[in-house]
Amino acid sequence: MIPRIEYHPSSRGLHRAGPVSNLLVLAGFLVAALSSSSLSLKGGALLVVLALAWFSGESPRRFLGSLRFVLWFGALLFAAQALSVRDGTILFRVGGPITDGGLIAGAQMTLRFLLILGASFLFVLVTDPDRLAHALIRLGVPYRYGYAFILALRFVPFFRRELELVREAQRIRGIRPSVRSVAGLRRTIRYTFVPVLVAALLRVDSIAMSMKGRAFGLYSKRTPSERVGWSGVDAGALALLAGGITMSVLSRRWGWP
Amino acid sequence: MSSSSGFDVSVDELTVRFPDRGRPALEAICEQIDAGAAVALTGPSGCGKSTLLRTVAGFIPSLLPAEVSGGVRVGGLDVMHADAAVVAQRAGLVQQDPESQMCTLRVRQEVAFGPENLCLDRDEIARRVDRALRTTGIEKLAERTTTTLSGGEKQRVAIASILAMRPGVLLLDEPTAHLDPAGAQQLFDTLHRLRASEDMTLVVAEHRLHPLLPLRPRLAVMDGGRIVTRRPTRRREDLLALGLRLVWDRVTPASSIVHRPTLRWNDVSFDYGAGPLVDRLSLAVNAGEVLGVIGPNGVGKTTLLRLMAGLERPQRGNMVRDKDQTIGLVFQHPHQQIFERSVRLELEMDGPLTDSERHALLCEAHLEGLDDAPPLSLSLGEQRRLTVAAVLRRRPDLVLLDEPFIGQDRHNTAWIIGRLLEARDRGAALVLVSHDIALVDALSDRVLFLGPQPLLGSSEEVFATLAERGERPFTPGYWGGQR
Repeated sequence: MIPRIEYHPSSRGLHRAGPVSNLLVLAGFLVAALSSSSLSLKGGALLVVLALAWFSGESPRRFLGSLRFVLWFGALLFAAQALSVRDGTILFRVGGPITDGGLIAGAQMTLRFLLILGASFLFVLVTDPDRLAHALIRLGVPYRYGYAFILALRFVPFFRRELELVREAQRIRGIRPSVRSVAGLRRTIRYTFVPVLVAALLRVDSIAMSMKGRAFGLYSKRTPSERVGWSGVDAGALALLAGGITMSVLSRRWGWP
Repeated sequence: MSSSSGFDVSVDELTVRFPDRGRPALEAICEQIDAGAAVALTGPSGCGKSTLLRTVAGFIPSLLPAEVSGGVRVGGLDVMHADAAVVAQRAGLVQQDPESQMCTLRVRQEVAFGPENLCLDRDEIARRVDRALRTTGIEKLAERTTTTLSGGEKQRVAIASILAMRPGVLLLDEPTAHLDPAGAQQLFDTLHRLRASEDMTLVVAEHRLHPLLPLRPRLAVMDGGRIVTRRPTRRREDLLALGLRLVWDRVTPASSIVHRPTLRWNDVSFDYGAGPLVDRLSLAVNAGEVLGVIGPNGVGKTTLLRLMAGLERPQRGNMVRDKDQTIGLVFQHPHQQIFERSVRLELEMDGPLTDSERHALLCEAHLEGLDDAPPLSLSLGEQRRLTVAAVLRRRPDLVLLDEPFIGQDRHNTAWIIGRLLEARDRGAALVLVSHDIALVDALSDRVLFLGPQPLLGSSEEVFATLAERGERPFTPGYWGGQR
């Protein structure tokens, strides 16, 4: 099963915040993930992501369930780092020596990876792509790019669904994907991606006709019919961004573990 | 706000040829449609209905490249030399698949999308949106997200979003092809309401003509890229006089229904986490039997097929079938189960065919001469026939069919029926999911209606009960049949 990474309409938690505020929250987490080497800050930020998901109506179990591939990949990253980095004291051996430096490097990379992906997933989950595009357009982004962004986000679940159906058709027809040989790999790619690509092209034709057929692109500007308001949740989101940046600066200055 | 005023449409010697096709899609079409008229466009699949509508809407050749000669004018505007976005202010096209037309997430945003592009002021946009929602009867859906709507609701949103442009000419390309009978009825009711409230020119390409009769349309029958017949239609008899049969004769039941279930379900339940799609269902499908499955969009018909095919596991109950049994599943969208580079290779994935066998099969399926053509370059109707042929070549014991007749004309439908009956007569069990009630009535030994109150029984019993319940669109009578 391919994870469902898409916007979930709701009126809880961060769903009530404006799209730009959610973008700023994401920026706060990215700053924490990329600019600080503090494990405790990254771990804490990851817990805040989970808390925000819960606050926005997503149970931690479902949230983590959707991220299970990311978690598996994070575990692989950790193992690879732990096995390959030999700095520091040897703690024990699993095939090769495992050092405290290797474990710290693995935890650094894994937490950074999980924080970036987790915060991005939370952002996608709670941010209405239409409202985000409208907000970006209001901030000066040309509306054609804004809508290209909306459509790109709308294509993610479409690709996922098409891919699942093509794989099922292969199962029914007795086709087993194989990547053990070049010929097998080529066949798998052809049998999988060509049908998905064709579906995407059909969809692009259809959506292009639908948009052009409603005068999209007729003028250099368009009238947004909805106004985006400001709420207490937006203020909270801004505070979170400020908090993320402040903690990152403090963690660097005081060398938090 | 005043209602939309219709524009006339003038087509003069229009010929359209697509780059990858030898024969023109449209050939020297001449047609004059007066402002405010209603025209029903019909004809076999691939006859050029969609191409004509797309050309009038300004998409060909500006968006879809083609070699074009002749002229098309909508309200005096030469659409052949105008940008599609300019033509959109005069003619609006509603496509077949409502899902693929949505470009925003909420109904109100979707309907406002066009007027926003016209740079109207916010008050005018709000007025247009409210009126379009009211005309199509979907005011209550205004704040819903488009992903939660049924197919019929989505198609009405698509119509509302075109109406908000106030185009003057409304073009609909088989708008009920993907809708359940109730959704199709809502759509036809919307068109009737529209005719009463707006002075708009209406052109509808449809196979199902009986529900259009109250619009009193002029009928244009197309074949091979030309309009071959034009006449006014008022009554069912006008359609029959043109040889446009509305119903199918009931097929003779198999002489050898073996009362040995190919598949048996006991108390099966399944859901995706948002309420049961299949709820404590028990049934058996026998060898040599056709079970027709009908019901509203989103009620779980495709899920039922997926469970039968073993692609999903029930959360409750058990399913019994022979483990050596072979299963054939015809998907609703054929491109999802086409894998090879040529029609020949696709047909021979499950074993070689002699030249004469392959030639005969392709001729019967109206795919003659396409042996080496890439399957994904075929029309949707051709792709669907190819997948039916490829699936049935494996001689499956259980044949599962998800809307196999969409986009097929009567001749090709008859070919598919013939192949299905061959499979049935050699002892296969068939489960047919279809919104085409007349065909389900003609083909099925028993019918399963999936809905809030499921029904399973002979087609006579099930349709009689549905008629009593007031679910007329799910009975053959609504579509011009007798029951």
